[in-house]
Amino acid sequence: MTVISANRRRALAVLLGATVLATGIGAGGARAADEVVVGVVQPLSGPNAQFGIGSLRGTELAADMINAAGGIKSLGGAKIKLVVADVPTPNTAAATTQRLISQNGVSAVVGAFVSSTTLAASEVTERAGIPLVTFAFADQITGRGYKYAFQVSPKGTVFGAAQFDYAMAIAKAAGEKIDKVAILYEDTAYGTAQAQGLRDAAKKAGVQVVMDEAYPLGITDVAPLVNKLKASGAQMAFPVSYLNDGLLIIRSLRQQQIDMPVIGGAAGYIIPDFKKGLGDYAEGVISVAAAGGDLIPDLAAKYKEKYGTFITHEALIHAAALDAVAKAMEKAKSSDPEKVRDALATLDDCTGLAQGVPGGCVKFDATGLNTSAFPIMVQWRGDELVTVYPEKAAKSKPMWHGKPIP
Amino acid sequence: MRKHLSPGLVLLLLFFVAAAALPFFVDPRGHLLRVAAMALLFAAMAQSWNIVGGLANQVSLGHAAFFGLGAYTSTLLFLRFGISPWIGMFAGAALAAFAAALLSFPTFRLKGHYFALATLAFAEVLRVIANSWASVTGGPVGLSIPFLGTKPELFAFRAVSSYYWIILALLVIVCLAFRLLARGAIGYRLRAVRENENAAEVAGVDTFRVKLTASIISAAFTALCGTVFAQFTFFFDPDSIFALSGISVRMAMIAIVGGLGTLGGPIIGALFLIPLEEVANAYLSSAAAGLSQFVFGAILVAAILIQPRGLMAYWPKSKAGRLARKDAKPVTPATPATEGGR
Repeated sequence: MTVISANRRRALAVLLGATVLATGIGAGGARAADEVVVGVVQPLSGPNAQFGIGSLRGTELAADMINAAGGIKSLGGAKIKLVVADVPTPNTAAATTQRLISQNGVSAVVGAFVSSTTLAASEVTERAGIPLVTFAFADQITGRGYKYAFQVSPKGTVFGAAQFDYAMAIAKAAGEKIDKVAILYEDTAYGTAQAQGLRDAAKKAGVQVVMDEAYPLGITDVAPLVNKLKASGAQMAFPVSYLNDGLLIIRSLRQQQIDMPVIGGAAGYIIPDFKKGLGDYAEGVISVAAAGGDLIPDLAAKYKEKYGTFITHEALIHAAALDAVAKAMEKAKSSDPEKVRDALATLDDCTGLAQGVPGGCVKFDATGLNTSAFPIMVQWRGDELVTVYPEKAAKSKPMWHGKPIP
Repeated sequence: MRKHLSPGLVLLLLFFVAAAALPFFVDPRGHLLRVAAMALLFAAMAQSWNIVGGLANQVSLGHAAFFGLGAYTSTLLFLRFGISPWIGMFAGAALAAFAAALLSFPTFRLKGHYFALATLAFAEVLRVIANSWASVTGGPVGLSIPFLGTKPELFAFRAVSSYYWIILALLVIVCLAFRLLARGAIGYRLRAVRENENAAEVAGVDTFRVKLTASIISAAFTALCGTVFAQFTFFFDPDSIFALSGISVRMAMIAIVGGLGTLGGPIIGALFLIPLEEVANAYLSSAAAGLSQFVFGAILVAAILIQPRGLMAYWPKSKAGRLARKDAKPVTPATPATEGGR
């Protein structure tokens, strides 16, 4: 009896010890002197997976391009090595980011696409003194006075305002006077932030918001929403949604023969699956975006060749984000996180992959926000997205109710 | 007195001593300690759940409600009024206890799946409230714990080890409470409720009151865990703190995989599952999307299939262990299978 229980105890101790120790394996692993390690946290599984995967592709393509062009020259041509971690929910962001920092010794972290996950990760990078370069929209990311958080694209409220102002400008150019609009948004951090921007912009422009409605992420029946939209008398609709809800809304609208202009709020409206899911209904849908492939045709072509679809804005911005990290290392002549952070803070770069960002440059202000970036409007033409507004970035004139604006 | 020092209990005490010493042997700011702290925190959560889920067999799938109440109460009191989370955590516990009492009136008349569904809905309701009542809760953007450096009086530390010891202390307290409850008169009543509620009622047990007491204590401890979680991970939002799979189900799962209704079950369950999940994530998440969760899920299914009574069945001298060993023998007509087949 005692022998058995002693054996059992030993077996148990070994089992527990092994599981605990296993997490430590890889700690302090030797790093080749000719490479610099950058952490990538993205939602590669779960509801935001397709955006995370797009973001990762952009980052990987950028790393390949930088490495093929000779790596970090001031560090003897050191190659960039990406350490990728899947962060499907904010709950795991802190632990995962900590792992990248203490086990992989990353010089910087790129990513997280989803605002809440990025906010969670930024709390760890800030405490650890590791620069975090992100595409996430939430205003809070660079609104908290943090030193190590850098936002490559404009904030969520700026996107909301641009979605409204740009659409009004396009409608005006088309000769249509808009005085009633509808706002529909999913009740996530991104949806509410952007809806706030839309609301404020509408108020400022003196336009009546006849419908202002939040709906839960993962909504399956949009008929009440669409009926309400139809009855509201709105001349233009601003939905802010990820993919499935966006598809449902547009399909229901078009099936009911409502040809009201729809101005999407980025995310689900500007990925290849939108066209796949909607077919011809996608044609002419306009959306705000953080970047467009036609701004940097060279990168867009490489992306299409490698992955078979057009480059999405999350891929473009993450490519620029990694590029910024690489240039900061180049400038700092170091991969020390503190020095990389200082170099990022003073970076003023308008070359290479930074051109994918509207405005063409990456230059951060004191809060860590890229001051030269601005949102753009893209429109579905066949299988591609075309940048149509503002004029300084546009590659084509916008179409309104299926007709080109004179 | 001898009865109280069973080998299992000695082993548990040794475990606590070893756990307390761990930060001296690993990097105090490192990842390993963070995973260990998270495992201990989930052990404390599962133990809190175990008070009502294991002892009384009232399987709740909505304990995230109390967890989130704890996190929101302490964090909002701190952000809005500057009240230290040390005080806020008890305010959160009181609020969660109140919520548990309130929830008990309609739900304790429900049995089995209906009770589980009602609790699940309660957490979902709180998630929606936290999401839409933005002026109070901060809305879907979530709440960040401000970065203050090391301020012990405000529950802020630079080193992971400080959080680790606080979490370990919390786990010890919850385990102590569990043991006192299980060994006390209420424990016998709860077990009577678990075996057959009607029979317990006939035997003179005030079943409603017993269940109410257990769920209030369980909710209060869960809320304390919520505050500690918020302080430790620095950020939470309605979706993550009131999560069904991330919090509610995980609490139940850890207790079930470890050994339902046993003192050591939640600890073993958490020490098995949390590091396993972390290892799966660390080594597989860059390989293929979703592979890590798949492997984790497969191991979980295997664990439950191989030992439905939970890992505690392998623990020396435990009730579950004895029963499992008895089960392993060929069943003769003399050994009724009621306990196992229930």
